[in-house]
Amino acid sequence: MLRVEELSVCFGGLTAVNKVSLSVGTDEVVGLVGPNGAGKTTLFNAVSGLARPSSGRIIFDSVDVLRAPLHRRAKMGIGRTFQIPQPLHELTVRENLLVAQRFGAGQVDQQKIDEILEFTNLAPKGDREAAKELALTELKALEVAKALATNPKLLMLDEVLAGLETSGKRRFMAMLKELHQKFAVGILIIEHDIETISNLCQRVVVLNFGKLIADGAPDQVFRDPEVIKSYTGADHAGSR
Amino acid sequence: MKTNASIWVLLLVAYGAIPLTLGSNHYVMSLLVAALVIGGIALAWALLGNLGGMVSFGHSAFFGVGAYVSALLTLKAGTPIVIAMLLGGVGALLASLVMLPVLRLRGPYFALAILAYAHIFKIIATEWTAVTGGSAGLSSIPRFPTAFGFDFSGKVGSYLIILSVVLIFALCYRLIRASDYGIALRAMHDSEDATRVIGVNSVLLKALMLFVSAFMTGVIGAFNAHYINFLEPDYAFNGLWVTLPIVAAIFGGYRTILGPLIGAVTVYLIDQLVFKSLIPYGHQLILGALLVAMILFSPSGLVPLLRASVRRNHAAG
Amino acid sequence: MLELILQALFSGVLQGGSYALIALGLALVFGTMKVINLAHGELVLLAAYIAYTVESSLGVNPVFAIPLALLIVCAAAVLVYFLVDLIRQDRELNSLLLTYGIAIILTNAIQLIWSADIRSTGSAWFQEPVVIGPLYSMRSELVFFVVSLALMTGLWWWLSRSWYGRAVRAVSSQRDAAKLMGVNPRKTELVSFIVASILASFAGVALFSYGVIQPSYGHVLTVKAFIITVLAGMGSIPGVLVGALLLGVTEALTVTLASSALQELAGMCLFLLVLFVMPNGLFGAAGRRG
Ligand SMILES: Nc1ncnc2c1ncn2[C@@H]1O[C@H](COP(=O)(O)OP(=O)(O)O)[C@@H](O)[C@H]1O
Ligand SMILES: [Mg+2]
Repeated sequence: MLRVEELSVCFGGLTAVNKVSLSVGTDEVVGLVGPNGAGKTTLFNAVSGLARPSSGRIIFDSVDVLRAPLHRRAKMGIGRTFQIPQPLHELTVRENLLVAQRFGAGQVDQQKIDEILEFTNLAPKGDREAAKELALTELKALEVAKALATNPKLLMLDEVLAGLETSGKRRFMAMLKELHQKFAVGILIIEHDIETISNLCQRVVVLNFGKLIADGAPDQVFRDPEVIKSYTGADHAGSR
Repeated sequence: MKTNASIWVLLLVAYGAIPLTLGSNHYVMSLLVAALVIGGIALAWALLGNLGGMVSFGHSAFFGVGAYVSALLTLKAGTPIVIAMLLGGVGALLASLVMLPVLRLRGPYFALAILAYAHIFKIIATEWTAVTGGSAGLSSIPRFPTAFGFDFSGKVGSYLIILSVVLIFALCYRLIRASDYGIALRAMHDSEDATRVIGVNSVLLKALMLFVSAFMTGVIGAFNAHYINFLEPDYAFNGLWVTLPIVAAIFGGYRTILGPLIGAVTVYLIDQLVFKSLIPYGHQLILGALLVAMILFSPSGLVPLLRASVRRNHAAG
Repeated sequence: MLELILQALFSGVLQGGSYALIALGLALVFGTMKVINLAHGELVLLAAYIAYTVESSLGVNPVFAIPLALLIVCAAAVLVYFLVDLIRQDRELNSLLLTYGIAIILTNAIQLIWSADIRSTGSAWFQEPVVIGPLYSMRSELVFFVVSLALMTGLWWWLSRSWYGRAVRAVSSQRDAAKLMGVNPRKTELVSFIVASILASFAGVALFSYGVIQPSYGHVLTVKAFIITVLAGMGSIPGVLVGALLLGVTEALTVTLASSALQELAGMCLFLLVLFVMPNGLFGAAGRRG
């Protein structure tokens, strides 16, 4: 469904993503790991349209979307969350989903919104103002809910588990496990925790200094010496 | 419930009490008409600022274009005034099309580009003498006709027309703000990227707000042309047509719908009755000072401030 | 015909010198503070009127007004800075409205003090023609063109060599990083305001010495400065200089080939053309697009 070919993104002199190729299928859950600053978020930005690649191709549903504007990609079915939650200011939780659904999916379907709110444990908070009255777990859930409301085919989750306390994390994990089946989306998920990735994903891709260094089944990849080196050598902030 | 009631009272006063009691006083009525003209532009300006997130210093262009289009259509093609006024709005909308490339620019660039742009229209109106009459201007622009047995060309008639136009615009503003588009625009204000990645075409939405705002301002300009029956470039494209509305909108509160209207009536009346007698030439100096003071001490304006204090009184009482 | 065009090119280039000074001031403040000072043109005009007062009341050459203009315009600019600095929320938007208000105040104050009449210099020394081959100019145009070039060279030297200049550049490009390096961004902002007002003072005196001034002209100057920065892409000193010369030449050619009434229109059309065709300006510099 998503195929990224030889993609590079530069910021001035820095090559944040360096000739990365990867793919995500419709019924896949793929993990994206790598130390901080490896270029994971930048890769998401390039795919969703927030960063302009300097070279390479992004094929989504057999269409080259490299030149497509942000909103068009969202309508085509590319959904994402932000590492630092970005609720829509001045709106309630429900209105957040409403905007996402109305513009991302094309039509409003209150029942679907209720379903998503229920699924993400946000149902009791529907009328709260999103930017001011939610706790971190709820903000992260809202990120997922917003993306789901656009009716995506591909969901890119950027460190949705990071920073959560244990019980919140456990609930979130349960949700993530169901997500793929229930909403029929392919998932690309950035996560530091190896156990989580092994638990959720059939396949994992490793970035280091903007380069792709491994791509395969989790138990294989996490035994790769180069991957282990990148992990133990550079990553201090990853939770494990 | 309470706001509904007060709005009905306001409407009753505006449509009934004022024309009945003050209708014969030409001076007061002309002040009110002018205040409503400013209020209309202020409303359109605030719509662009509040929903579109754009500050415009060039609304005088839309005002002038609307005025000229409507005046020329009635003078040269004999178009009925009501249709000509609407087409004046359309003319202003078309004028705003040229602004589209500017919409992709960030904040300050947009504000300055539209300021630069307003100059172009003034120069065109002055130099294109064959059509606009140049700096000599256009005179005997048709007045409002008599309809339903009522002569709308008088002060009271004009007052009722501009009052209705402004209120209709306020209603449109309200509907837009409550629509899906309005909600998305509100979201864009503080989280533009997050709004765009869920499928909102931010440039298109902003463009739509620019069109609506330009159209409204054009219609108001057209009204004014038929009201005073005379146009010249220096008048129709005068910077005052944007300065006064900005001060009014900021004074009343540009994030609210009624704020700009209340601000316009207050600021315009004070300007004409007090400032002008203090400094006959250059009383805008005080308007500038007022704008500076508002931005520094109460950037969200008086209406939100009053609302908060009313709420506080309620809580206390 | 060719002679006329050559003459227009020459006059346009000379005019471009002062335009560049004005535009550099605007760009400098925008660089450090991310604030467009809409009262910038009025500050320039203030200097021009001070030159007028000095000339008409003391009967001396307007150049002698420069120290006084520097003093008053710098004071005014510092005041503008402190007012802008008082803004607490939504600075990008509110600073526009604030400086717009200041521009209104200044325009009207100028009109109150000096009346709305058009003023120009009476200095015979300045109006003396200077003939270089087939080209003609007033002495004031040449003098101030040289002064502009000298000031720009000085500015370039200052930005690239002195500690403050480098701090200004650091704050312009990477505010947070500059803070970490021990630069006080607020101080550099103030410095950039002062430098901008020094350039504005010279430009104002120059404008008076070879042209006509009236209170509404400040606004026009702000717009011109903005157009130049769009042409240049808000970039470097040479970029701004080229943009300014381009505007000056375009205006002069329009006056020669068409009519002086269309002078401003030509600048605007140039501006729109660049916006449509090269939205990042003639000299690149991304980051303007939203
Ligand atoms: N907008 C930007 N401008 C400049 N550099 C950036 C920008 N965004 C990210 N970077 C740099 O790109 C690199 C990759 O960052 P990122 O993709 O956020 O890493 P990750 O998400 O893997 O932690 C980092 O060195 C970061 O500093
Ligand atoms: Mg990241």
